[in-house]
Amino acid sequence: MEIFKDIADEVEKGHSDTVKELTERALSQDISAEEILYKGLVVGMEIISEKFKNNECFIPEVLVAAKAMNIGLEVIKPLLAEANVKSQGKVVMGTVKGDLHDIGKNIVAMLLQGAGFEVIDCGADVPKEKFLEAVKSEQADVIGMSALLTTTMLYMKEVIEMLKSEGLREKVKVIIGGAPITKSYAETIGADGYAPDAASAVDLTKGLLK
Amino acid sequence: MESGNIPILAVNEDTIPAAYEKAIREVWENGASIRTEYDRPEDPASKDATVIITVREPFSQPRFHRSFADGLGGLAEYVMEVVHGAHDYWVKPMEEILKGTQSKDTRWTYTYHERLFEYRIEDEVINQISLMIDRLSRAGHTRRAQAITWNPKLDPPTDDPPCLQRVWGRLCDDGEGGYVFNMNTHWRSRDLFKAWFENVIALTTLMRKIAEEISKGTKKQVRLGRYVDISDSLHIYGSYFREIEGDPEKGIKSFFEKLESRSFQERTWDSDFVKPYFIDDGVGKGLKPMLEREKEMPEKVRKAIEKELRLMEKDDYEV
Repeated sequence: MEIFKDIADEVEKGHSDTVKELTERALSQDISAEEILYKGLVVGMEIISEKFKNNECFIPEVLVAAKAMNIGLEVIKPLLAEANVKSQGKVVMGTVKGDLHDIGKNIVAMLLQGAGFEVIDCGADVPKEKFLEAVKSEQADVIGMSALLTTTMLYMKEVIEMLKSEGLREKVKVIIGGAPITKSYAETIGADGYAPDAASAVDLTKGLLK
Repeated sequence: MESGNIPILAVNEDTIPAAYEKAIREVWENGASIRTEYDRPEDPASKDATVIITVREPFSQPRFHRSFADGLGGLAEYVMEVVHGAHDYWVKPMEEILKGTQSKDTRWTYTYHERLFEYRIEDEVINQISLMIDRLSRAGHTRRAQAITWNPKLDPPTDDPPCLQRVWGRLCDDGEGGYVFNMNTHWRSRDLFKAWFENVIALTTLMRKIAEEISKGTKKQVRLGRYVDISDSLHIYGSYFREIEGDPEKGIKSFFEKLESRSFQERTWDSDFVKPYFIDDGVGKGLKPMLEREKEMPEKVRKAIEKELRLMEKDDYEV
């Protein structure tokens, strides 16, 4: 349907006002919120995510597109809840305690949302208790932690230890990322996966929840 | 690098994004391969040069390149950090800074605003930007209007000392009864690919603030002149090479192919496009979300940012 393509194109270009207008128009044509989400908004984000992966667009463009998608999402959110539409999975995210560098985490959050995941963003400088509370209250499928500093990345292990002591480790997948993080570090601390860049974090999450 | 000499490169462009692209190309093609403290063993040596970049019209449009390592809301927050001290409260106490790498406190050792506006020396706190404004307002031709960041007691023991070293400014007559404010910034070391652009947006915003204050003090029109940016070591880290070179086998474009595949207009934004994202980028960053999120921000700083927000909401204010 042409309107889905238009929504996707406008999301990709980051034209928030047009996305809002087209989403409202689609609803007025009795198109379901779920279809608008998966055939329009998510497709637009998938296009920009793919471009980002292939080095064909710039980071701020991904975030501008994410704003456009969120504006469309706001319009259909109440209807999605009414129709009980399920997301691809729930991901709790944050940069670990002591680390205020949240750019990478924000980009991953946007790309995950764009891929149809529900993201609970705990923000930056997140203590383990806050991660735990979010995992419990949201019944999250995945917890994603980010750190830019070698001094703060050590905290990831503390979060994993806390999940174990609370009996939640087997119920939630743990993924980590950030400049100093390596695959071997992820293995050492017992994470389920590590992503070297934002685009791979989405593939990793999809793979873990298959 | 021939005979151990670091190359010296010069870039002269009208706008910030044009200068940014030219500088990346210059350092990539003509920089020397030198290792930095941040290169990992598996990374190639960084590309590096001493570079002097002139932006003839720092507020000319388009002012924003689309290639930088954050979103527009994040960039706005960084501008507030440099110009209004939004994150000075994240700087750790002096006794912790003096512990150098032994400090367990992960807060910051400095912000540019803190060093430029609240430089700590002995028992005094000095607002160097205010001194610059006073000195230039009294005698625009002075060569002594400058603000430094380096603290020889605090910085050498830390892992991440300031890159910006000095801001210098001077006024010249514009021939019409007003002044032109010229500003230079001097940098010890600089990540060209992922920090230069954001630094320059913030520093040129500071440049405009200084010019506005001088204008108030002298009651004369103060136009912005050229902005000159001098880095001892302007580099592209080895860890970025994959992003710059792309991967032809996997169909991943190089950075330069990405630039060439679009017009200059399609790889930049003007201030009108950017302004709403500076106010609120819709994904948790920007002035409004920042004021909402950062409850511990001191009241004085909050008020300054609120004022900035009101200015941005006016149509005639350029970010």
